[in-house]
Amino acid sequence: MSKVVDYLRSLSLKELEVKQPRRYVFEVSPDKLRDVIGGVIKVSPQTYVSAISGVDYINEGVIEVNYCLWVIEDKVMVVLKVRVPRDSPKVPTIYDLIPGALNSELEAYDLVGVVFEGNDKLRRGFLTPPEIASQNVFPLRKDFKV
Amino acid sequence: MSLIEIPVGPQHPALHEPIMLRVRADGEKVVDVQVVNGYNHRGAEKLGERNTWIKDIFLYSRVCGICNTVHAQTYTQGVEFIGGIEVPPRAQYLRTLIMELERIHSHMLICAVMAEVVGFDSLFMLMMRDREPVMMLKELVTGNRVLSDYYTLGGVRRDIDEVKKDKILKVLEKVEERVKYYKKVFLEDFTLSKRLRDVGIIKPSDAVRHSLVGPTLRGSGVKSDVRRDDPYAAYGEIPFNVITYDGCDSLSRMLVRFDETLESIEMVRYILKHLPQGPIAPKTPIRVIPKGEAFSRVEAPRGELFYHIVSLGGDKPYRVKVRTPSFHNIINGVIAYKDANIADVPVILTSVDPCVSCTERVLVIDETSGKSKVLRLKDLSRGLR
Amino acid sequence: MPSMKLIKYSPWLLHFNTGACNGCDIEVLAALTPYYDPERFGVKLAPNPRHADVMVVTGAVTKKAAERLKRLYDQMPSPKFVVAVGACAISGGVFAGSYSVVNGVDKVVPVSMYVPGCPPRPEAILYGIVKLLSKLDGGGK
Repeated sequence: MSKVVDYLRSLSLKELEVKQPRRYVFEVSPDKLRDVIGGVIKVSPQTYVSAISGVDYINEGVIEVNYCLWVIEDKVMVVLKVRVPRDSPKVPTIYDLIPGALNSELEAYDLVGVVFEGNDKLRRGFLTPPEIASQNVFPLRKDFKV
Repeated sequence: MSLIEIPVGPQHPALHEPIMLRVRADGEKVVDVQVVNGYNHRGAEKLGERNTWIKDIFLYSRVCGICNTVHAQTYTQGVEFIGGIEVPPRAQYLRTLIMELERIHSHMLICAVMAEVVGFDSLFMLMMRDREPVMMLKELVTGNRVLSDYYTLGGVRRDIDEVKKDKILKVLEKVEERVKYYKKVFLEDFTLSKRLRDVGIIKPSDAVRHSLVGPTLRGSGVKSDVRRDDPYAAYGEIPFNVITYDGCDSLSRMLVRFDETLESIEMVRYILKHLPQGPIAPKTPIRVIPKGEAFSRVEAPRGELFYHIVSLGGDKPYRVKVRTPSFHNIINGVIAYKDANIADVPVILTSVDPCVSCTERVLVIDETSGKSKVLRLKDLSRGLR
Repeated sequence: MPSMKLIKYSPWLLHFNTGACNGCDIEVLAALTPYYDPERFGVKLAPNPRHADVMVVTGAVTKKAAERLKRLYDQMPSPKFVVAVGACAISGGVFAGSYSVVNGVDKVVPVSMYVPGCPPRPEAILYGIVKLLSKLDGGGK
């Protein structure tokens, strides 16, 4: 089986049932995120951040940040879901642990408004045009109408 | 120490996408590279939420024209997973066929562009000429040269018959012969060796930590290919090799692409020989998808393409997140520019196969004298005068 | 007008991508290869905007690229022409209505010729450029 999945199961995180093969989804609280990711890299260093996907669940008042990691050795994708309140979406940065997460964090900040604490490179206008960036609105939030 | 800042900006005759690199150089050596992007941002993710599931197949195909079939594959694969939609075997094989044809033309394109960037114009023209038959094959199968619009939820839209099969096999024989010849040129030509060997070294551990994907990763010896590790469509049933090279330089990355092209030609032969009979699409179009979530990965010519699709039920998606391989390769790939010369910058950028057209001029501002000169990226790659 | 004759016999193209999917761009690139032989019309790629006669624009014009487009257009010497290639350049294509897109090149610079398609074939692109040139003969813009 997968070393990383066994490690994550040993941390007694909430695991969500997923029908897709080779996908394992766990819920992590923001304060434990860095420890979990640090542990995953120690167990299997050949792991990379495939994407960081932010979803705005406006009806529940949360923004869910999905850290999608691909473990090369075990050939599985591990998804860590972090739910933060919509009016204060703060998550600790992981780009010092995995440098490849930097661009994904910048994108999630610019489009969804997730603040990655500790990331000094966050800026608006990474992808969005100047008129949106200057208005302090986030295009991929549900209250932003096209 | 006078640092020159060179914006390698959005307009460039060879690389055809708008992206800007701010290169800080000390003399000829590159000190730092910053990527300024956003010229290509069209808000496709937000537009996707406004359209129905089926309309979105057409929208997401147009995120990238060169790899449009893989975008359609990743999207439909995710949606079919959420909806529990079965795809008939013949459609899976046809999807794989068109994806491999796309891989062939995309790799030939970037190898031709690399020849042009290095200054080998005649090789560029020859490779483009030999790539035209592959575009014709794509048109034969799907009805359009570039944007195939071949996918539908649960299958494909057109079928092929024996006549088309024979044509594909005949044309690919000639293409294979030419690709083998061009690979020999890349290996043996003196100019190409000098410009590509040991340029833009990326160590394997760095490549993984910085989320580099595709031939960029495999050119550093890391055996990771979505088609092998996370099989989708018909790849679980087709034998093929995962190509890696240990050189870690630009030449290795280009050689990975040549070998992958040859592998793709073999795979197309296998697909045509073992194409199963049966329907190619469900009888009634599917409009409504239940609640669910999917994390979909596909090996595009440039690397791993990832979609995160969230459905809350209904006929429209709630959220579709697209992460293209070039997002990682271009932005995180700045680690490859360390200790490079200015003339190596376009070569390294081309070797990671940027899916962005750069068509801007380069403005050189000499900080000490305050004079400014205007150069093309092409001039830059041939050395500052 | 003598300058019109010079352009008619050898128009130099400037290609600018304002945020396209590259479909139109690779067809523009293909149109410049010997298979379609653009040089029989004297068409070639200009080294920089100040040498260009015809600007070929592809892409749904993103807001960030729009100001670059205007700047490039201003840097071209008169007489100058713009050809909008592809559905996105004409009206925004599938991306019309997005928060990041200006719907069509003609909202930024004046367009002389539209080549529809998604993407148009290389022959169609060359045909559009040649048609523009024959329009010039009649004393066009």
